[in-house]
Amino acid sequence: MSRSPLVPQGPPDRGDDAPALAVERRVAAPPSTVYAYLTDSVRWARWQGASAEIDAVPGGRFRMRMGNGMLAEGRFVELVPDTRVVFTWGWNGHPTVPPGSSIVEIDLASEGDGTVIRLVHHGLPPDDIPIHETGWRHYLPRLATIAEGGDPGVDPGPG
Amino acid sequence: MDALQVVTEPHRREILRAVWDRELSAGDIAARFPVTFGAVSQHLAVLRTAGFVTVRRDGTRRFYRADRERLGPLAQALEAMWRATLDELAAAVEAESDRR
Repeated sequence: MSRSPLVPQGPPDRGDDAPALAVERRVAAPPSTVYAYLTDSVRWARWQGASAEIDAVPGGRFRMRMGNGMLAEGRFVELVPDTRVVFTWGWNGHPTVPPGSSIVEIDLASEGDGTVIRLVHHGLPPDDIPIHETGWRHYLPRLATIAEGGDPGVDPGPG
Repeated sequence: MDALQVVTEPHRREILRAVWDRELSAGDIAARFPVTFGAVSQHLAVLRTAGFVTVRRDGTRRFYRADRERLGPLAQALEAMWRATLDELAAAVEAESDRR
């Protein structure tokens, strides 16, 4: 099986040595359950944002609106059921991280009766990495909670 | 975006105030504001682009501080505004305690 290129399309290529943000989280739920929360509009908005528009096919649109009106936008690049979701990412109106300017890769690995979620966010300008890391460290636990059958509540935003 | 547009946005003013006389990490700033990381990220990028905050880079960490010199006359305007707000608050508290 040939491995697909790391960055198949979309964001600018900042080179392999560009720093990336990586966050991992173990979830007590099977990969198929986690995958469902990454590929459905209503389910996505349960853990991140106030609403989401998810067209989970390669080239399909990704839009997620935060409670304060901020809009994250990108396109799906790669989907491997229960295993991997890749989409481009950026913020509407953002001077340094515009829509589609960076890429988010989420890998789901089965471990025992749970899943290890590994999220890598590539292509962000170095000055924008820390704040996005803060964001993903806020959201992966919310994804874990909902996947485990809990209720993360209304998204209050990180912090 | 002109300088005035940069500082008239309330969240950006609050970020400037928070880093007025000390530096804070990006994470600290995110934790202090009840807005999403997208908004904090955008506001910081606007402030950086305008040169109104300086960024100290320490490995992967980023520490922000207001650049008052770069803000020029806007720095005094902001300080006057914050002082006025404090004075109003103090006056209101005084009036409230007089009433009791």
